[in-house]
This record gives sequence, C-alpha cells and structure tokens, in this order.
Amino acid sequence: MLNEDRVRLMTQMAANEGELEEEDLKISSYYRKDYSSLHTLITVLWLTVGYGIIVGLVALGNMDAIMKNLTINKTITLCVGVVVVYVVLVIIYAIAANQFYKAKHNKAKQRVKKYYRDLSRLGKLYMKEK
Amino acid sequence: MSTILVWKEELQMLYAKHAVYVEKALKFILGLAVFGLINSNIGFMKAAASMLCTIGLSAVCAFLPLTVMVIAASVLILAHFYALSLPVAAVAGAIFLVMYIFYFRFTPKKAWLVLLTPIAFAFKIPYIIPIAFGLVGTPVYAIPVACGSIVYYMLHYVKGSSAALKGTSADSMVKNFTAFAKQVLQNKEMWVIVVAFALCLLVVYTIRTKSADHSWKVAIVTGAIINVIVIVIGDVTFDIHIAYVGLIFGSIFAIALGAALEFFIFTVDYSRTERMQFEDDEYYYYVKAVPKIMVPAPVKKIKKINEHKETTTIDTDAIRKVAMKQKIPAAQKEAASTWKRKNADEILFKKSLDKDLGISTQSTPGKSGNRNTSQNAANRNNGNRTNSANGTNNRAGRK
Repeated sequence: MLNEDRVRLMTQMAANEGELEEEDLKISSYYRKDYSSLHTLITVLWLTVGYGIIVGLVALGNMDAIMKNLTINKTITLCVGVVVVYVVLVIIYAIAANQFYKAKHNKAKQRVKKYYRDLSRLGKLYMKEK
Repeated sequence: MSTILVWKEELQMLYAKHAVYVEKALKFILGLAVFGLINSNIGFMKAAASMLCTIGLSAVCAFLPLTVMVIAASVLILAHFYALSLPVAAVAGAIFLVMYIFYFRFTPKKAWLVLLTPIAFAFKIPYIIPIAFGLVGTPVYAIPVACGSIVYYMLHYVKGSSAALKGTSADSMVKNFTAFAKQVLQNKEMWVIVVAFALCLLVVYTIRTKSADHSWKVAIVTGAIINVIVIVIGDVTFDIHIAYVGLIFGSIFAIALGAALEFFIFTVDYSRTERMQFEDDEYYYYVKAVPKIMVPAPVKKIKKINEHKETTTIDTDAIRKVAMKQKIPAAQKEAASTWKRKNADEILFKKSLDKDLGISTQSTPGKSGNRNTSQNAANRNNGNRTNSANGTNNRAGRK
C-alpha cells in the first residue's frame, strides 16, 4: 500500500540526489583536516608545475633580453626573484586552497549527512509498515 | 512594454516546459560555433577540419557536460597546431595546462565560460563579454574572460602567421618555439584587452550589486565607458592601433545587449519602491524593497468542438404502427384483470349481504343468476366503460 509520507520523502531524496555527487561520499570519508591538507599539498605541487611552465615560457619569450649582457650577478638576481615570487605564490595559494577545500568538505559533509538522515527516516518508515 | 513582458513570460514558460530539449539544442549550437570557428580559422589538419567532424563533435558534446566541450576544443586546437608545427602545439599545450592548473581545477563547472570570449571576438562583439559576465556573474569570472582573450589572440596570431610558423628543420623549430612564445606573451594588444575587460567586469559587478535605483543601467553604461577609456589609454601608451570606430560601435552594441540582458534578468519597477525600517535587540534594519514587474502570460483555452456525426432517418409512421400494435393487447389485458377484480368484489358484497341481512341471493338463483350472467355478458361486450361503472356502483353500495 502507498504510504504518502514515504513517497514524499523518496521524492525529496530523488530531487536532492542531483546535488549529491559521488565525490561528496568520497570527500566525507576524510576528516576535514586530512582532506584540506592533502588537497593543499596537491595544489602546491600543481602550482609548482604551473609556475615552472610560466617561468619557462617567459624565459623563452624574453630569451634575447635575458642573454644580453648576462652576468653572474644578474643571473643570481633573476634566480632569487623567481624563487621569491614562487614562495609568495605558494604561501598565498596554500592559504587560499586550504580555505577552499575546508569549505568544500563542509558542504559535501552536510549534503551526505542530509542524505543519510533521509535514508534512515525511510528505513524507519519501512519498518513501521511491516 | 507589456507585450514584450508577456513575450518574456511566454519564453520562460516555453523554456520551463521544454528545458531538456532547449539545453541540448543550445549546447549543440554552441558546439557548432566553437568547433566550426576553430576548423574554419585554423583547420590545418584536414581530417579534423571537415564538416562531418564539426557536426559529430557538436552532437556528441550536446549530450555531455560542458567541461567535455572545453576539453574537446582544447584537443582540437592542439591537433591543428600539431599539424602546423610541433613547437606551436607545445607552447599552446603549456598555456592550456597553466589555465587548467590555475582556474579549471577549482571551478570545472564554469570552464565553458572560456569558450564564449573567443566566440564573441570572432563575431566582432567582444565588448559585450565583460558587461554580460559582470551582470550575471562574480568577480571570479574575470579569469575565464582573461583566459578566453589569451586563447583568441593565440589563435588569431597562428592564423595570420601560419606560413611563417611552418618548418620541420631543427633550427626553424627552435626559432618558431621562441617566436611563438614571445608573440603570445608579449602581445600588448592582448594584455590591454585583458586588463580592460577585467576592470570593466569588476566595475559592472560593483555597481550593479548596489541598492541604488537603476543600478544595472548605470553599471552597463559605466562599464562600457571604462572599457573604452582603458583601451584608448592602452592604445595611446603602447601604440597598438585599435580601430576606434569598431570600439565605439562595439561598445554601443554591448550597451544594447546589456539592456536586453537586464530586461530578461532584472525587470523591476522603481516607482513602487518601498522603504521599511525596523529593529530587533541587536540591529536597526533599513530595508528597500523594489517590486518585480510581473505580467502573467495569458492562458489560451482551446475549446474542442466534436465533429458532425451522421444520424439515421427514422420512419415515424412505422414506429407508430408498432407501438399501436403493442398497446392494444396491453389494454385488453388490463381490462380483463379489472373485470376479474370487480367480479370478485361483487361476490364478496353478496356474501356479506347474506351474512348480515339474511337476504338470500341464492333463493332466486335462476332470476338473479340469469341477470348476473346476462349482465356479465353485457359487461364483457361493452368493454371497460361498463366494468368501471359497475365497480363504482359496487363500492358505493358496500359503503
């Protein structure tokens, strides 16, 4: 027999299922700190790759200007400049990525929590019918 | 005005009714525009530049998320570049990788916004992009606008210098590598446009989020003016020769499109603005409520009239005859039953007379019996009328 409450709950769950992505379940299996730390680390690694590519392209595009009157001092200054910019970028990116992934974890956790709560309510409704 | 508002409502209703198909169709059209423009402008790989490939890719991408279209467009560009020259493909691949690292990783669902900027450039309406993104988006949208501008200028350069970029010898490849990287990164026009668009977008976003009256209109016009000013300053400073006529007419067109966008997204009636003030334990609230202009679309009622049905001709004379035939025996039956009943009444009346008054009807059986018999026979011959008269008399007598 059709239970109106159960049908309503299942419809609501089906509607919410679109919001709940598979990734959410994966994210919620981590502790928030672990998740944000891991992804911040990955982001920093990607940043290093991206920064390397940008520096390479800029160096390639300005090869003539760099090679012109190249001295040891100029080389050291350039290298230090590149490293300083890299460190600054890493710090900014690490902070931003940490916040971003913490917020992402929170949202995913909330969606999964709501999904499980609805599942348990549905289970209780089935039990009550039996 | 009200007619246009009704059209808007009808359009929204139509979209709501057929959203699935409309989205697929729009994706297909976007795919045709993206892949068609790539193949027509930099179609160096003949197999990938065919119309069949364009339509096939568009059809496939129409059923997949928009991120797939971005990836497919990137791969197609790299394939064409590879057919032209390996260093060009390598530099373009590096630029795409940087875009992925710094933007797409964080908001993969908004990656498709990158596609719109090159399309707008190809259709000679690039100035609408920062205004439109500022109206509907957030400051983060400045990144896809910048990425899209870089991609467009990269394609534009390769299209114009394809002959110079060809070369298979090791020496020419190194030269091409350096020249292409230099051109892409040191294109002053590109950077001026990137800065102008980013500033325009931020200004439009900042103004349109204010609660002032007509903030959207002010934001659109201010954004267009900022765009023109920054580009002119960049042009004068770096001597990059931007066509002013195109810039001004493009900006006017952008204002018109921005106004159209406002009409569809933010239609409010400032003349009916209400201001309220209230407080709770911690705050005073100053609220400004601007009503939306809502015109309900007229609902068309369709009345279905049933189609004409053929009827048969009835022979009324024949029906009447049949009815008469059926009526007569029924009347006769009724008369017979009435006569029986009356006859029984008469017998009962006589019995009661015998019992109460001692008048013997049996004493003169011949006479009375004859009379009764003859009367009964007469009754039978005269039909109903006589029977009913007798019945009435009998009842009266009994009383």
